[in-house]
Amino acid sequence: MRQRCFGGAQHDGLGSATTLNLVLLLSRKFLETESPSWVTDGLISEAQRQQLLARYPPEAQPLGLLPLLGSVLVGLSALSVVAANWQALPVALRLALLLGSLTGSYAAGSYFLRRGNDDLGHGLIGLGLILFGASIILTSQLYQLVGYDASGLLAWVVAGVAVSYVYGSRLLVLLTVLIGAAVQTYCVESLGIFSYVTAWLVVGGMGYYWWRRPDAVSATVLAVGLLWQAGLLIIVLHAKITWFFVPAMAIYAAGDWHPNRAVGRAIQVPSLVAAYLFMFGLATFGETDAYANILRPPLLPYLAALGAVFGLSALGKRAQGRLASLPEWLLLLPGFYLSGGLTLAVATLVVLYAHAGSVLARANREHDSDQLTLGAVLFVAATAVAYFKLTWGFMDKSLFFLIGGVLLLGLSWYLRRRNAQVLAAAAPPVAQQAGTPPAPGNDNEPEAPAHNS
Amino acid sequence: MADLLSWFSDPVRRRPLLRLLVGAQVLYVLGVAGAGYATTALGKQVVLATTPIDPKELLSGDFVRLHYAIGAMPLSQWHGPQAPRRRQAVFVLLAAGPDSLSTAVGLYPQAPAAGVGQAVLRGWVTDVYRNSLNLRFNLERYYVPEGSDLRLEKAGRLHPLRVRVSIAPWGQARITRVAVQK
Repeated sequence: MRQRCFGGAQHDGLGSATTLNLVLLLSRKFLETESPSWVTDGLISEAQRQQLLARYPPEAQPLGLLPLLGSVLVGLSALSVVAANWQALPVALRLALLLGSLTGSYAAGSYFLRRGNDDLGHGLIGLGLILFGASIILTSQLYQLVGYDASGLLAWVVAGVAVSYVYGSRLLVLLTVLIGAAVQTYCVESLGIFSYVTAWLVVGGMGYYWWRRPDAVSATVLAVGLLWQAGLLIIVLHAKITWFFVPAMAIYAAGDWHPNRAVGRAIQVPSLVAAYLFMFGLATFGETDAYANILRPPLLPYLAALGAVFGLSALGKRAQGRLASLPEWLLLLPGFYLSGGLTLAVATLVVLYAHAGSVLARANREHDSDQLTLGAVLFVAATAVAYFKLTWGFMDKSLFFLIGGVLLLGLSWYLRRRNAQVLAAAAPPVAQQAGTPPAPGNDNEPEAPAHNS
Repeated sequence: MADLLSWFSDPVRRRPLLRLLVGAQVLYVLGVAGAGYATTALGKQVVLATTPIDPKELLSGDFVRLHYAIGAMPLSQWHGPQAPRRRQAVFVLLAAGPDSLSTAVGLYPQAPAAGVGQAVLRGWVTDVYRNSLNLRFNLERYYVPEGSDLRLEKAGRLHPLRVRVSIAPWGQARITRVAVQK
């Protein structure tokens, strides 16, 4: 049932053929420059050096850059001739040109894929997909035709999903997510309606794809595309903007259920960033209470909806053994129901500190240096807001900046020291007792030094 | 276990599936073209007047900007339970006058039944003022065909135009003719 990524290279979340190629290319160059000195130092023999070099052959360029550039230029010139004379061309010829270039780029894409040139092939198939949308738009314009629903462009999204399924390339997935967002934007801006069919096509079609073919980059792009559509839905419904976080956190909850941790995380990042920015904005500007009317949906329905999503997320975290990331939900605490003023400012600051602390605590437990850095940045950001809020009005400005600077320097020194301690402490136990969990007790408190420092 | 994606991306099926997809896309584009002809042939014809606008704006590039007389309506013509909102989709009931020009007789949130000599055109609210509102019909651009007398009409004339619009029963519309009102 579970579909894991193939090969270790994909587990870092960036894994792609391109990264791998780059690494190979670099290691070949490294080998070429370094290996002669290994031979002189007696590390390896000349024969072994040759064997090593033969093991990592130089990458053959699949296609020269010059012909590609040349054909792009020829294509552009043809395009500009057609565009300049578009209105003067007879209707039938215009249709024939559109359909000809559409079928032509699909055929060429299929041809290059059979020849094993995947990048160019997928690129041309993607071009065909773009030309399909362009043909729908230009043909409507040809007949001065206006439609009053999304059905005209819906076919474009359907074609995008279908082509992605058939060719399964990252480029086509990204293109389809982009097309979905573009069609939805058109519907909202131009027709004043939200196309639920478009939204469900992207959620269902590309969501299923994400589940089955885990890829971190596509996951993040999919999440951004879906958040965009969720934002448009809020605009169309004239709803309070905080409703946005219900669909956003539903995407987050889906990430909790994904068996692949890195890919699940990748789809969660955009929602988390949105929630953090909102909480940050609330801490910075919220206390005026001027925005209260656009922030507060009816209490019970909002909490019920968000609570349901929270339940789903927590269940997913438990099922996949990731309950440690549960404190991320702190960012969703609906502080905006508090009346403005000091209460709200303090409450949001407490939440920001608690969140930063939870990230730091988790990083300590898991000895994860990236998370440590992130936690440190969040901590500094919360401190900056707190400092700004609490002192700006009362202090002489030069004193304000002086104390702020000293505070920042002190914090950075302290956090760097902690970072180094934690990472130094992490090395021995991992080497000695790999697999055993770190002793409980100490590691829940970020302030306590790691147990064997 | 055969999942949907493996079924689709099976190399054996790839070529026939691509042919099917490309064929469907070509047919779809041809269908859009067909809808254009069908809208003219089967649609209800109305003639709308435009209001003169800034002459510099009239002919820009390949298209004429059209500002319809029915694009600004008094709020008293609104027949809805709630006040109209920006971006809302609305329906304009049109009735043909003696000079064959159609004028608005009412504005509805849902499609009203059209009587004899009447037609319904869809639009969107762009602005709501105290006593009036502005509408948009997505028919504001007319791509001028080569050799049309509109091309001869140099910018700087302030003639109102007569725009003939076909409204298809299935909810599409197109401009079929634009002429200078004499």
